[in-house]
Amino acid sequence: MTETNLRLLKDIDEPGLHTIDVYERRGGYSALRRAVTELEPDEVLEQISEAELLGRGGAAFAMGMKAGFVPKGDTDNYMLVNADESEPGAFKDRVLMQKTPHLLIEGCLIAARAIDAVQAIIYIRGEYEHQADILERAVAEAYERGYVGKDILGTGWDLEFVVHRGAGAYIAGEEMALLDSLEGKRAHPRMKPPYPANVGGGVYQGPTLVNNVETLCNVPYIINFGVEEYRKLGTEQSTGTKVVSVSGNVRRPGNYEVPMGVTCREIIYGLAGGPPEGREVKCFLPGGSSSPALTGDEGLDLRFDFETLEAAGSMLGSGSVIVVDDSQPLVPFALRLAEFYRHESCGKCVPCREGTNWTVKMLERIDSGEATPMDFELLAQVQTNIIGNCLCLLGDSMAMAVGSMLEKFRDEFERHAEEARARNEAALVEQSAPELAAAPSIGPM
Amino acid sequence: MPRPEQNFISFEIDGREVRAPEGMSLVDAAKNGDVEIPVFCYEPKLGQAVGACRMCLVEIEGSPQLEIACKTPVEDGMVVVTTSDSVKQAQNAIVEFLLINHPLDCPVCDKGGECPLQDITFGWGPGRSRFIEPKRHFEKPLELSPLIAIDRERCILCYRCVRFSGEVAEDYQLVFLERADSTYVGTHQGHPYVAPFSGNIIDLCPVGALTSNAYRFRARPWDVENGGSVCTLCPSQCNVTFTVRDDAKVLRVFARDNAKVDDGWLCDRGRFGFQAVHAPERITRPMLREGGALHEVSWERALSEAAGGLERAGAGTAALVGGETTNEEGFLLQRLMREGLGSPHLDSRPGGALDPEQARALGRPELAAMVPDIDYADAVVVVDTDLQDESPILDLRVRKAIRRFAVKVVLVGGRPGALDPPADAIVRTTPDGGEAALGALAAALAEVEPVSVPPSDRRVPRDPAQTPTGGLDERQHGEPERQGESAGRERVDDLARRAGTSAEAVRNAAAALRAAGPTVVLWGERLSDGPRGRQGVAALLALARALEIPETEGSGLIEIPSGTNARGLREAGCLPGLGPGLLDAPQAGRPAAEIAAGLGEDLSALVLLNADPLRTHPDRAGWKRALEATTFVVAFADFESETVAEHADVVFPAESYAEREGTVTHADGRLQRVRQSIAHPGEVRPVWSVLAELGARLGAPADPPFLTSPMVTRAITEAVPFLAGLTLEELSGKGKRWQERDAAEAAPEAPSLPQADELEEPPEPVAPSNGDLRLGTTRSLWAGRETEHAPILRFLAPHQRVELSPQDGRALGVESGDEVEVSRNGSSVRGIAALRDALPPRSVYLIEGTAQDSATELLDGESTTVTVRRVEAE
Ligand SMILES: Cc1cc2nc3c(=O)[nH]c(=O)nc-3n(C[C@H](O)[C@H](O)[C@H](O)COP(=O)(O)O)c2cc1C
Ligand code: SF4
Ligand code: SF4
Ligand code: FES
Repeated sequence: MTETNLRLLKDIDEPGLHTIDVYERRGGYSALRRAVTELEPDEVLEQISEAELLGRGGAAFAMGMKAGFVPKGDTDNYMLVNADESEPGAFKDRVLMQKTPHLLIEGCLIAARAIDAVQAIIYIRGEYEHQADILERAVAEAYERGYVGKDILGTGWDLEFVVHRGAGAYIAGEEMALLDSLEGKRAHPRMKPPYPANVGGGVYQGPTLVNNVETLCNVPYIINFGVEEYRKLGTEQSTGTKVVSVSGNVRRPGNYEVPMGVTCREIIYGLAGGPPEGREVKCFLPGGSSSPALTGDEGLDLRFDFETLEAAGSMLGSGSVIVVDDSQPLVPFALRLAEFYRHESCGKCVPCREGTNWTVKMLERIDSGEATPMDFELLAQVQTNIIGNCLCLLGDSMAMAVGSMLEKFRDEFERHAEEARARNEAALVEQSAPELAAAPSIGPM
Repeated sequence: MPRPEQNFISFEIDGREVRAPEGMSLVDAAKNGDVEIPVFCYEPKLGQAVGACRMCLVEIEGSPQLEIACKTPVEDGMVVVTTSDSVKQAQNAIVEFLLINHPLDCPVCDKGGECPLQDITFGWGPGRSRFIEPKRHFEKPLELSPLIAIDRERCILCYRCVRFSGEVAEDYQLVFLERADSTYVGTHQGHPYVAPFSGNIIDLCPVGALTSNAYRFRARPWDVENGGSVCTLCPSQCNVTFTVRDDAKVLRVFARDNAKVDDGWLCDRGRFGFQAVHAPERITRPMLREGGALHEVSWERALSEAAGGLERAGAGTAALVGGETTNEEGFLLQRLMREGLGSPHLDSRPGGALDPEQARALGRPELAAMVPDIDYADAVVVVDTDLQDESPILDLRVRKAIRRFAVKVVLVGGRPGALDPPADAIVRTTPDGGEAALGALAAALAEVEPVSVPPSDRRVPRDPAQTPTGGLDERQHGEPERQGESAGRERVDDLARRAGTSAEAVRNAAAALRAAGPTVVLWGERLSDGPRGRQGVAALLALARALEIPETEGSGLIEIPSGTNARGLREAGCLPGLGPGLLDAPQAGRPAAEIAAGLGEDLSALVLLNADPLRTHPDRAGWKRALEATTFVVAFADFESETVAEHADVVFPAESYAEREGTVTHADGRLQRVRQSIAHPGEVRPVWSVLAELGARLGAPADPPFLTSPMVTRAITEAVPFLAGLTLEELSGKGKRWQERDAAEAAPEAPSLPQADELEEPPEPVAPSNGDLRLGTTRSLWAGRETEHAPILRFLAPHQRVELSPQDGRALGVESGDEVEVSRNGSSVRGIAALRDALPPRSVYLIEGTAQDSATELLDGESTTVTVRRVEAE
């Protein structure tokens, strides 16, 4: 069985790890000490860049490169942690924040150092109340120990640290919307450019580095053990490990940290135990609810890394694997997903706002047997009309997931609609002419 | 912010090579190649593109997916395609998406026929919809306010209205509520959207979601005509379009974009006030007082009575000219007075005399800023005026300058106003502290700077040919005077005290201005009013000198007058001592207050040309006495005001601005054409023709006679040297600033600007005794004839509001909302108290020009104190 929980989740079951004493005992904050007392900010940045750490928030953008865009000098820079984790299937940031909050704080401080930030902010999903409480306590501890605040570790570096609770919208995790939400406005994606890292683009107009919780949790390891050691796990392009949230039809759902590049089969079957007895994986979404579905046949033996999954027409995204076995009908699943996106669309741009709405209405009809034969093609075209035309990726996310399911399981969609229609008819006949319903068989009308 | 330089680049669009300024939005640049990229949300007037509608998707070479053109700045060598299959598919997709929840009730929609959604659907849509689901429903239509109806089903959520409210008007009232496909436009807690500029959202809405309650269901685009003109209801002089039916009825007014005047915005008074044109109570026939009452009479009768009465009074005639009077009317009136009746006594200013030398100084081209200078200035100083009430469109302009170009704003004045929140420095004075405050500011600017700041390199010298010939000395800015430093400091302290403000506030303002390059000063006419008006203007001119306005490109003054066409009337010869062209009149006349004093003495007749002294002039009681003592009053009036009803002997119906033909002059020197849009109702005749006729009958005939309004315009250009050769064609469309024409060289010379230390010492601030308060007045956007006679605006007509500081409120036992009486010398008005935190103690502010209880009751032109007391409920 694949080795798991090698780095980020290594001590995860250690009692009291969320306290600074236990974390320090486990070697915590040594990376920060090294980063601020032994290395220049540029050297920190260089190590992150050489590690080729890719963002774990979904877009797989190289963290080092993004941090390099932040101008240094006379601007007030901000380090912003995206902890809004709200995508169906994703719960990896939650475990990290709940169990090892200091790892995040330490990673965040190192990154803040690399970009010479004046303030670090964790924007945490509003519903993660418990985790926010833990983080707030942890930040207070870090202040007490002198890791945060004025004159950090006697180096003269000042940094304020804030935990900001979100107001409950998936779109607030999209970084441009996050910025507006943080500033007290509606979480509507701002337009790029300027990008957050640019002057005028970030929080309060200051250049801002936005990173996902897990991305930052990788940083202390890089500083502690060096780039070479870091790259020992993972593939050439997808370096390091990935915390995978596995959910759906598996026997052991949960978070597993795996080296990038293990096969999907190892994750789904090896770690998560596969679907219950006697069932097969019909399809799975490898990168959360926003990723195109892969059928069991095409996907299980693919390597779980950014490049392989992208080449297969899907994506690793946030690395949340949602498994659907062959006992599950896909139409209600697609409908449930579409409903989520319709509900969470911010409403700013037309294709997403109207497209999600239309998609839900069509899927409802397919599910309830009121579809027309044209609907499947129309549903597919609506997804095409959404993809690439939206302001942010929320609209595309639904369209890619729903579109891929429809494309790969078109016959199941049609069968589903047909069966539902037949059921409706039967019910209608039973209602209006019970004597006919009792007759042995009636042909299609 | 300095004026951006335009650097032209070339790019390719649909196979055509096109040139455009670098960085221009691709949507606009495409127009240079006759390519129209459809848009819904893009509207540069609203600021940054938001990218919401996605209608403008295009292909840009090198970009993996389609890009929105609205937020794409053009670059040299860019290759753009708007006609490919993928672009067409995207356009079809967006239109289809937009229409799936749109009710398509075009046949009953006001917007039908002039609707961008219709046009774009026809031009870029798929032609048919594949949507068979139930549409989204909202209750419709609802009142967003008494002025505007909202139909949320039609709304395509393009963001325009919401952006206008938040980013242009900055009233932050209109917001999106809910989200996703349940999003709708509304206000916090469903309050009506009532704000000075709310109506602009009607123009902005690309569908029929926001409609004007004044226009709703009144017409379809194909049975109306649109005609361009200028709104003369306030000094902003916004360019407007009248929508007219059958050449007789104005149905609607909307903005006619002129970036140099109004940026394409209107205030609600300008948008809805047109209803007054068709008010049934309007005077549309000549009237004559017989047996104590006014009766309608024939034109001939009225003319001969008027001519007879005026002839009898002869040089004992005086005239008041109202602010909405056109240049032509004003010119003819001063001709009639001076040449026909031999009387020099006419005045277009309600508040006090303007010294002729100062009038010429203020008229100098090198002291004139133009409206767009506000955008590109480093700093704007606003003196003794609340722009939102007195020239609303300039309030928006200043807000835009702050928001987009980071212009610094310094406010000088007694009353906290709408621009307080974004202001960088505020010099809060007593109600009459303007003179001393400006003197203090000018003196402080000459003070040694705490840290030496290099002279701003942003001060681009003007063309030397244009610098004034007056003997300005050559002292360099930034090179502080060493001598008399401490004397200078004491002077600033003393002047600040006299202004009722702190020296620190003055120095803060000076610091902000010292660091600034081009500076625009917007000053309220009230600074020049009253017995110390001359000193007020002197202080203003000294400030202009201290700010090096004459030498700095992009710097200048703009007056915020009390009347729409104050500048034009001044230049056409309607001040007591000044003839056309600001040249000394052969005989000095009396200003308004002295006219009032002379009526019943050596003056026996009064001509009121669109003027209503009982409403707009200080010392209402004095005017009442004067009107009673006047033997013969001729009034050109549109409504039976108290002045008309009780005192006029002959009444000529005045034209409304929709019927007039002529020109007006913006405070920045821009002459603009007022065009006739509808036929005269009833027996209304052109006022210019009536004045020409009276002139002909009273010894001032023209040769050849004035047969048309353009002939009068020509006479003005012949009489005013700096307007020489001006033609109406030059004014077509967007008007023309006279300072920009060659003839501007003929502007009369003025003496050099005073230095700060040459100013007279201002008086000590009036000391209110036993609980009295210093009286200040303010105007309200809504105190005016339109609000009373346009039915739709009636709900906005203000009651008198008595603004007090909380300290004074406490001392007087008055709380916000209490009814109070404000009295002085036996005159009193009542109003509702409003305690305002930012108001300095010992001042009280009232509105001038309310229909009842106007502050003018209490004014007599002097600085005054009043007694405020709570009215006990009966
Ligand atoms: C609709 C939407 C929701 C998102 N939600 C999250 C989120 O909850 N957490 C997150 O880290 N990134 C989220 N992202 C991705 C962020 O926009 C951004 O790419 C990420 O925070 C960058 O961090 P990284 O480079 O460390 O991955 C979301 C993106 C979209 C389009
Ligand atoms: S794609 Fe959806 S969530 Fe993103 S901006 Fe558009 S409407 Fe908002
Ligand atoms: S009401 Fe009109 S302007 Fe406002 S969002 Fe809707 S369509 Fe746009
Ligand atoms: S016009 Fe470009 S997105 Fe609306």
